[in-house]
Amino acid sequence: MIIPNFRPRLRAGLPWNRRQSWLPPTWAAPVAGLTRRLGGLLLAAGLVGLLLAPLLGEALFPRLWSIEPLTYIGAALLILGLVVHGAAHLTQEALRRGEAAAVEDRRIAERWTRLTQQYFELFNHDLGRPLRRILGKEREIRELLQDTDAAIPPSVRELLDEIEEQTPSFRLMMSNIQVLIELETPNTGATLHAVEPAEVVRRIVDRYSLVAADAQKQIAWWSEPTEFGIVYCDSSAIEHIVTNLVDNTVRYAGSYVEIGLTRDEDNFYIRVGDDGPGIANRYLPFLFDRGWTPEVARREERTSSGLGLFIAHTLAKRYGGDLTVTSVAAPDPEHHTAFLVTLPLRPKQ
Amino acid sequence: MADSKILIIDDEWESAIVKAVQRRLEEEGWRTVIVEPQSRWLVGDEFEAAAIYVIEAERPDGVLLDVRLGEHRDDQFKGLEILRYIVEHYPTLPVLMFTQYAQGPARDTAVRGALRWNAPVDYIDKLASPEEVVLRLRRLIGAAPELIPVGAHLLVDVGAETVSARPERNADLRPVDDIHGMKFEIFRELAAAWYRSPGELVPFSRLERYSEGEEARASLRVRIREIKVSIGKSLGINLGANDLIINVRDRGYRLVPPQM
Repeated sequence: MIIPNFRPRLRAGLPWNRRQSWLPPTWAAPVAGLTRRLGGLLLAAGLVGLLLAPLLGEALFPRLWSIEPLTYIGAALLILGLVVHGAAHLTQEALRRGEAAAVEDRRIAERWTRLTQQYFELFNHDLGRPLRRILGKEREIRELLQDTDAAIPPSVRELLDEIEEQTPSFRLMMSNIQVLIELETPNTGATLHAVEPAEVVRRIVDRYSLVAADAQKQIAWWSEPTEFGIVYCDSSAIEHIVTNLVDNTVRYAGSYVEIGLTRDEDNFYIRVGDDGPGIANRYLPFLFDRGWTPEVARREERTSSGLGLFIAHTLAKRYGGDLTVTSVAAPDPEHHTAFLVTLPLRPKQ
Repeated sequence: MADSKILIIDDEWESAIVKAVQRRLEEEGWRTVIVEPQSRWLVGDEFEAAAIYVIEAERPDGVLLDVRLGEHRDDQFKGLEILRYIVEHYPTLPVLMFTQYAQGPARDTAVRGALRWNAPVDYIDKLASPEEVVLRLRRLIGAAPELIPVGAHLLVDVGAETVSARPERNADLRPVDDIHGMKFEIFRELAAAWYRSPGELVPFSRLERYSEGEEARASLRVRIREIKVSIGKSLGINLGANDLIINVRDRGYRLVPPQM
């Protein structure tokens, strides 16, 4: 089976991110300036040599091929100076144009980001309102049905559950879009602040417990040490990473999802595992590629965007950590999947 | 926790989603107060004035606060101004921001601009389930309740040191025999952890405090088995290894309400 490779697309990104790699190194401009000055000095020395040659040449050196050698030296210096000066000038000009292009790129990128964020917020707000209305009505119907003494038909309960279960997916989708916009924004530095990872995990478990319970699955979580304490990271990033992993594992788990939080001297670790059917080895190298899902490889209809694991992996890397996966696929009786997020306790700012 | 008062400040206070949250808060035993501006013009300033008045008058135990109070551009972050007021004047009052802007730059702006580092403030998405809102408020408000309901069939009375069970949904609660002393403390510890955060494991180290002898782990295992037998008998069911109190990878135990 041929598995499409998504890596080129993943690395390409948006044009301004691509073009950043063409920018010259920071030392290029000062070196070009010095070279141009050196060229000017050589040019001046050559001119002086040519002017002095008729006066001093014969007194200093014997003639060579009927001309005093100072003339040769002056001419050579003049030509060398012209070449060096010209080349340095052309380099400086190219650098200046490159810099102007980069500034223009950044301006376009910032405008794009601003516009995208504005559109996103508008879209999020306008889409959120009818969704809240639908959800509110669904909860109202549930309440009304509970108030009546008659038993709720299972099919009606299933319909109501279906509406409720779609909500975490929508919330995740919206936050993933927001993260994608941020990731494509040029030069957005990582923001670090005090975060309590145990509380972040607790919130995510709050969100997914009901969804898991409806699907007859359970989520358990633990931390070691029990009082896990504070780390310096970006709470939104940790939340995005773990939410995407939990969303994934709850979807594929057989009946059980476990989240473990541990730390050592340098890093803290979040392990998200499930007892699902596992992932075939041939798929593992592509798991964190943007847009990749097993359905894509099988040329079937996609059931997810394939962005969640890509975002989790990219964010973990961005904060100086990593996201890895180990999996044993069925029919092995020990089948399971475990994602391990590693993040530094003292990240570089 | 009973009789705690939760103040709801939301421009969509009549919407089904806020009503559903309000109902769930009341099921939890909390009283709810909703800020309703007198003016028919729903603008942020009206909310701000009304909210501050109600906070002063009602002295709530927790606040559920929307960020966007009105459709005008100036009201987009009006809730953050109310938050700033609360953090300045009532620094220990827990506030749960109930907002569509629970993530991203708006939240970061709020964190930087409106908060003290130790302010009891948290954020939750407006699409969160009422159950999620309750769990978050339970942790924010912090105090452990006197009565901890564990699902629909069990109730832990911390003051009376009893565990009661009802075999059927509408039946009366009856005290479970044989759960006293250390066995009650173990069950109370598990129920309190479940109440704050379902799925959270209680490590052996915390539960072994209620065991005796050199073999604390073995003693704990015996007590857990006895608790399960007693509760199972009261509920009229047989509780297996994966019911009610579950051992997680030999790290600790977690509570799962009985499904009947």
